[in-house]
Amino acid sequence: MLSPEGVLEKNMKVLVVDDFSTMRRIIKNLLRDLGFTNISEADDGNTALPMLKAGDFDFVVTDWNMPVMQGIDLLKAIRADEKLSHIPVLMVTAEAKKDQIVMAAQAGVNGYIVKPFTAATLSAKLDKIFQRLG
Amino acid sequence: MSKDTSIHVSIEQAKLLVKYLEADQQNKADELIAEIQSPIQTALFEEIGKLTRELHNSLNNFHVDSRLNDLATADIPDAKERLNFVIDRTEEAANKTMDVVESIFPVVSNIQQQINNVNPLWHKLMHNELDVAEFKVLCRDIDVLLTTTEKETSKIHGLMTDVLMAQDFQDLTGQIIRKVIDLVCEVEDSLINMLTAFGITSKQERSNYLPKLGENLVEGPIVNLGNRKDVVSDQHDVDDLLSSLGF
Repeated sequence: MLSPEGVLEKNMKVLVVDDFSTMRRIIKNLLRDLGFTNISEADDGNTALPMLKAGDFDFVVTDWNMPVMQGIDLLKAIRADEKLSHIPVLMVTAEAKKDQIVMAAQAGVNGYIVKPFTAATLSAKLDKIFQRLG
Repeated sequence: MSKDTSIHVSIEQAKLLVKYLEADQQNKADELIAEIQSPIQTALFEEIGKLTRELHNSLNNFHVDSRLNDLATADIPDAKERLNFVIDRTEEAANKTMDVVESIFPVVSNIQQQINNVNPLWHKLMHNELDVAEFKVLCRDIDVLLTTTEKETSKIHGLMTDVLMAQDFQDLTGQIIRKVIDLVCEVEDSLINMLTAFGITSKQERSNYLPKLGENLVEGPIVNLGNRKDVVSDQHDVDDLLSSLGF
C-alpha cells in the first residue's frame, strides 16, 4: 500500500459503507479530491462483507448505525476473518458516546471520525492510519 | 366494609336473637340476622355498584374518545409519511447541491488551465525576454483567457444561485417536522392521561426516564450535548480519549 518513499498509493481499492447515499457521495468526493480513484460503495454491513470477501479491498470507511449489520459488527467480522483482518478500517459516524469510541478501538478500528467532520480531518486521519501501518 | 358507622348490632337485637334461638324459632332468628346484616350488605352492594359504574364509564370514555382512535389510525401513519417525505426532500436537496458543486469544479479547472497557458509567456514578458512573435501568441492567449474567464465566472454565478435555491427544502421540512412534533406532544399527553387515570405513573418517574439504547449502545446524533457527560463534543475529544487509552 505504501510505495518505497512512504507515499500513499492512491490506486488502492477503497470500500465506502453507509446507509445514506448522500454521505457515501460526500466521502467518495473527498477521497477523490485526495487522489483515490478506485472507490466502491455498499449501503450496509451485510452488503459490504461479501464484497470484501470477494474482493481485494485495501481499505474500508464505514458508518456505525446501519439497519441490518452495524459498522461495529462489520469491523468485528473483518477482524475475525483471517483473509480480511489486515484491512485498515476507518469509522466515520454520528455515534459520539465515549463507550462506543472505546468499543470501536478495542474491536480494532484504525481511526474514528465523528460527524460533522471536515475534509481536513479526513485527510489527517488517513495520513495517520497509513503512516502507522508504515 | 361499610362506610356507614351507624350500622351496629344493638343489645336489644342480640337479646331478641337469643330469645328466638332458645324458643327454637330458627326462622325468626335467621330473619333477624338478615335484618341486621341488610344495611351492611346494602352499603357494600352500593359501593361495588358505584365502582363498576365508574369503571364502565372510564372504559366507555376511551372508546368514545375518537381522538385517540384518530391518532392511532390516521395521524401517526400520516406522521410517518411526513417524516419519510422529509428524508426524501433533504436527500434530493443534498444531491442537487452536490450536482451543482461537482459541475463547478471543471469550470474552475478550465480557468486554471487558461491561466497556466498564459503564465510562461507572461513571465517572459515581465522579464523583458519576449520576442514579437511570442508577444502575438501571448496576446491571443490572454484574449482567450479573458473570454473564458468572463464566460465561466458568469456560469459559476448562475450555479451558485442554484445552490442557494436548493436550500429551500429547509423551510418545507421545518414546517413538516413542526407538525410532527405537535402530534408527538398530543400522543404524549394522551398516554400520560391514560396512565395517570390508572394511577400507573407519576411526575417523578417521568423525570428519571432515559431513552432506551439500541444494540451496541447506538443512539444516533446527539442533540443535547450540554446535558450529557457520556458523550464527546468534537473530533478533538475523540482523539484525546483514544490517545489517553493508548490507541
